[in-house]
Amino acid sequence: MSSLTKIPAGVQYFFDDEVRLRRHVERQAMEVFAGWSYNEIIVPMFDYHDLFARGMGAERAERTYRFTDRDGALLALRPEMTSLVARTVATRFVHRERPIRLCYSGEVFRYDEPTERAAREFHQLGIEQIGQPSPTADIEVLLIAAEMLGSLGLNDFRITLSHVDFFNGVAKALEMNENNRAQLRELIDRRNSVALDEFLQTNAPSMTEERRRAFCQLTQIAGKGEAITKARGTLRNETSRTAIEQLASIYETLNELEMADHFDIDFGDAGGIEYYTGLTFKVYVPGCGNEIGGGGRYDNLISNFGKSEPAVGFSFALDGLVNAVIRNQNFQPTDEAGQTINLDGNLVQAFRQARKLRSQQTKVKIQ
Amino acid sequence: MLTIALAKGRLQEDALALFAKAGIVVAEEELNSRKLAVLSADQRFKFVFVKPGDVPTYVEYGVADAGVCGRDVLLEAKADVHEPLDLKLGYCKIAVAGRKEVVGQDYNLLATVRVATKYPNIATEYFHRKGIPIETVYLSGSVELAPILGLSDRIVDLVETGRTLRENGLEVIDVITETTARLIVNRASFHLKRDAVSKLISELAEALNPS
Repeated sequence: MSSLTKIPAGVQYFFDDEVRLRRHVERQAMEVFAGWSYNEIIVPMFDYHDLFARGMGAERAERTYRFTDRDGALLALRPEMTSLVARTVATRFVHRERPIRLCYSGEVFRYDEPTERAAREFHQLGIEQIGQPSPTADIEVLLIAAEMLGSLGLNDFRITLSHVDFFNGVAKALEMNENNRAQLRELIDRRNSVALDEFLQTNAPSMTEERRRAFCQLTQIAGKGEAITKARGTLRNETSRTAIEQLASIYETLNELEMADHFDIDFGDAGGIEYYTGLTFKVYVPGCGNEIGGGGRYDNLISNFGKSEPAVGFSFALDGLVNAVIRNQNFQPTDEAGQTINLDGNLVQAFRQARKLRSQQTKVKIQ
Repeated sequence: MLTIALAKGRLQEDALALFAKAGIVVAEEELNSRKLAVLSADQRFKFVFVKPGDVPTYVEYGVADAGVCGRDVLLEAKADVHEPLDLKLGYCKIAVAGRKEVVGQDYNLLATVRVATKYPNIATEYFHRKGIPIETVYLSGSVELAPILGLSDRIVDLVETGRTLRENGLEVIDVITETTARLIVNRASFHLKRDAVSKLISELAEALNPS
């Protein structure tokens, strides 16, 4: 097959209205970020593979596109932005006043399996806030995400809040080994309460039936204040309880800001625990089958590149935002007509007129 | 309204019977029509009937909020969905089988074993876990024929009673896992339509285990 008609799996071309819409969404988001004093950072398209392995863990760095530099060093196309930002902050920004607020917009490349249907090149938009502990910074980034969605007319969004120590505390209290931990996490993630119950019967025999039931129920719950009350009544280990109180305080603040409608607490989300250290969140909008964005607190990441610092951030897939905008409000990007100038044989006159119109910012089209 | 994708065929009637037991009824004349999408009597649900292997796709992409399909299909599709309920319907085993002569034989760890199957992912994972190199031959039906005609050494297939295997001179070598029908739910619908989804889950759970 000819390379004229075939394109590699997972990449895309965009043109016409699609480009206008993508740029509109990108501009809108970046304006919101700038409005909260986040400065844009531009990072390289590729860097040493080792950098991503340090930042995201070896397993996730496996999914990069790799190649070698002229000197044989292993390079990778950036699979995410956060490691690159974190390294910059830990090295170049050591002496800058904290907190540091940065935002970015650009393509990342990831090879996921099974991948036939999945994109391998994504445009990501996001922010990182470094140097400020929870909950101030957490609330700030949640509000920015909400404002950005609102600015795109996506008013039906839902952000689910979770906390890694909710799961970590349970796994620790049950003295799970690595294997069981992974299995427990998978069961919680799939909200498979029956299998979870059976698993706990076998692997956590010390748990009473009543507590097991309550725990299984809890992992199927996402909700508002009542979810917090239920969690407080169910979990006794210190780590999980601290996590619940942190979530509760964030939620309470959002409630006082009259934003609570958009937020849910989700005790069945055990994702990202190898990377995040506190709050995690995911963003859903109607018409999109999966989350279109998410983020959380990663207080250990920066220490991979320098001294330890608290940090929190999020990223959105531009594709997800664009699809949501299309489905939710039929956005019509306009290609305004501009003024047509006929050449009519007199080149100089036509271009003189065109330049005059251009100096007045008028759109022109030579015909 | 929630859209529910149901696997046509083996599971369809049992699944509808369970929904009926949970008070979610589809009128007889609707079912007898040739419509691919029908409404429940209370208009709360739209059922779409699709090929079993397609159920996870509809749900994962969110065009259906929930679905019913076998665990075999979920494992094979590696679908990224919630799986809140085991509906205990359509119990089967996913097994490795072969001609009687190969049943006791050890695998040659240096040669690839050729396996005919509808489940290339499940088969590959099973053999890789055992450290046995595998070549899968994808077949969409009558998998039992493959070892008879010499297309493959072994097969990986659903086994309900084992009768088809026996009648074709094949025997189960190992059971990989068991499968029953599952309720699956789209990840976004789980949050965006939370009330309707939790109601559905608890109604079905109640129908399964009346308290």
